Amino acid sequence: MEQVAFFAGAIGALGGAIAVIALRNPFYSVLALVVHLFSLAGLFLLLHAEFVAAAQVVVYAGAVMVLYVFVAAYVGGVEEPLWDAIPGQRILAPLIGAALFIELSIAVLGSGLKSLGDEGEVIPAGFGSPEAVGRLLLERFLIPFEAASLLLLIAAVGAVVLAARRPAPVDRGGAA
Amino acid sequence: MIETPAIDYGALSPIIALVAGICVVLLVGLIGPRGRRGLSSALTLATLAAAAGLLVWQLGEPDADLVAGALRSDGLSITIGLIVVAAAALVVPLQLRDPAAEEAGFGETHTLLLGSVLGMLLLAEAQNLISFFVALELLSIPLYVLCGSHRSRSRSLESGLKYLIVGSIGSATLLYGSAFIYGGSGGATDFTAIAQGIGADLADDPLVLIGIALVAVGLAFKVSIAPFHQWTPDVYEGAPTPITAFMAVATKAAAFAVFARFFITALGPSADQWQPALAALAAVTIVVGNVGALGQDSLKRLLGYSGVAQAGYMLTGLLLGTVKGIDALVFYLAAYMLINMAAFAVIAVRERETAYGDDITAVQGIGKDRPALAWSLTISMLALAGLPGTAGFIGKLFLIEAAVAGNYTWLGVFIVVGSMISLVYYLRVVAAIWMRPAPRLAPAMAGASTEAAGEPGLPRRTGEPGRTPSGAPSGGRCWLVLGAILAATAATVAFGIVPSPLIDFSAHAGEGLASMLGPG
Repeated sequence: MEQVAFFAGAIGALGGAIAVIALRNPFYSVLALVVHLFSLAGLFLLLHAEFVAAAQVVVYAGAVMVLYVFVAAYVGGVEEPLWDAIPGQRILAPLIGAALFIELSIAVLGSGLKSLGDEGEVIPAGFGSPEAVGRLLLERFLIPFEAASLLLLIAAVGAVVLAARRPAPVDRGGAA
Repeated sequence: MIETPAIDYGALSPIIALVAGICVVLLVGLIGPRGRRGLSSALTLATLAAAAGLLVWQLGEPDADLVAGALRSDGLSITIGLIVVAAAALVVPLQLRDPAAEEAGFGETHTLLLGSVLGMLLLAEAQNLISFFVALELLSIPLYVLCGSHRSRSRSLESGLKYLIVGSIGSATLLYGSAFIYGGSGGATDFTAIAQGIGADLADDPLVLIGIALVAVGLAFKVSIAPFHQWTPDVYEGAPTPITAFMAVATKAAAFAVFARFFITALGPSADQWQPALAALAAVTIVVGNVGALGQDSLKRLLGYSGVAQAGYMLTGLLLGTVKGIDALVFYLAAYMLINMAAFAVIAVRERETAYGDDITAVQGIGKDRPALAWSLTISMLALAGLPGTAGFIGKLFLIEAAVAGNYTWLGVFIVVGSMISLVYYLRVVAAIWMRPAPRLAPAMAGASTEAAGEPGLPRRTGEPGRTPSGAPSGGRCWLVLGAILAATAATVAFGIVPSPLIDFSAHAGEGLASMLGPG
């Protein structure tokens, strides 16, 4: 049962990710991303990370994706090609990607790490629950937690700077 | 029941001062009129001064792990913190008449600047993977925005977008690598725990090695090490000049600090594996940066490529894994900060005074009219090339000395050859200053400061209604910028002749990591 769930999640995640970059219509790409994120949430559940799975669904598949859909609907229907290929890019990019994939496969398959290949570590009761995550955030990772809140503040200020009423553009690109 | 971790407020005080400063600057920016540059700048400088004072105080205190081991306050983090704060303090006067800061609002610009400084301080102190990543993002995100903050110039927008995309790729690569290292070390996030987890058994395990490679690539994007440097010239050219100056200097300092701490503390067991790889990267970077800078007409692009080459020199100090190497790295970073701030400030001033933007034409023949600017830029160029009598020379000397002592003599040779190549393009700037006649077109004088710099011949943009026309230079502001330029230049020369204060300063950095480092 667990294996079936794993392969279902893995195929969904990989298929969704490939579809995001392969589909031409940005709106379908966004939908494929939703499939990908839901599958990932399923994989997190298998890893006993219930809180992360729930957050994934609520934050990414819910909130962030709604934003993406809005953006795709707002600027969608652009007929221009999305990218001007650099000469040789269409050949080189897949080659480099494949090389990286082979390297990563060698790394994972060739590793002598003991916990790979057997059952893995025994998971303590309460692992991944909201309580345990909250405890980690307030005890061990207090500083990153606080820094992340400041990061959000700064990002909000940045968004205001970039999105504020535009001054009169002096050149073509200013109004883009 | 939550067991709150012990918090050493004394050691955290520079961070707390910055956070408080960010809130005050942001709120003051919201009240009052948009153009309130004086108050905002003064508050920013006060915040930076408070942080600097607290950092100096901490320099005398013993090293400490802070808040459940998330951060570490030691010589390395404090010296890098002081370099970053000094760079930010030199940028603030430059922004006073900066069209980008005017457009985005001073409160917002300074908030973002201080946010980035906070990220850098946290990054220099970070000693677990989580705070490492969060601090890196806190450093980067304000910079993405600041690069694109001059929205009426398409170049600035392009620069911001390019930096955002490339920076995100760097961050993602780094995160991917961290995940491999986390797995390879048996689920450790603290740097010391990672070193124990890797130990001798897994030091050359492919899983750990791919993690190290990915983290190195992610950091290489941040410090612009070839072949991950392609974004540097474009972003440097497009970003508002004060931001370029800050990025060039402070980002490099903070990223090198965490680079050193992570590779030496956490990945120390695998040092035999990553040392040759980083040495090859350093050699490639020195060649690519110096060759790329030849024939650049835009001064900011030239300094961008020069920054790539300098990153190669600095990487040499890092990869040796010795106290001497780290000392040389921090010395070089401090000298580089002074030199680069002076050079970029001169470019910024000329950008506002002429219609040539950052083209080399803008500094042609300024020897007669503007001797102070001319001498500052000349000394900066010579110091970047590493001529004796400047801090740049002493910095290179230390790096080469450390490289020889660390059995990387061939890298020392690369530094020397790279410096020789670099003389070609640095001397080209010096020649333009002193030997070329001033361009025929009369300079548009300082009144044109709000006009889009870098695009000559475009119609001038009038200020928004309700905003005071901000072009007219008032004597005080000019003197502030000029004072910053002259101070940085004077320090460059002074530390070139009497380097001992700066040597003592950088020696703190090596002490911080001494327990992890080899001697020599």
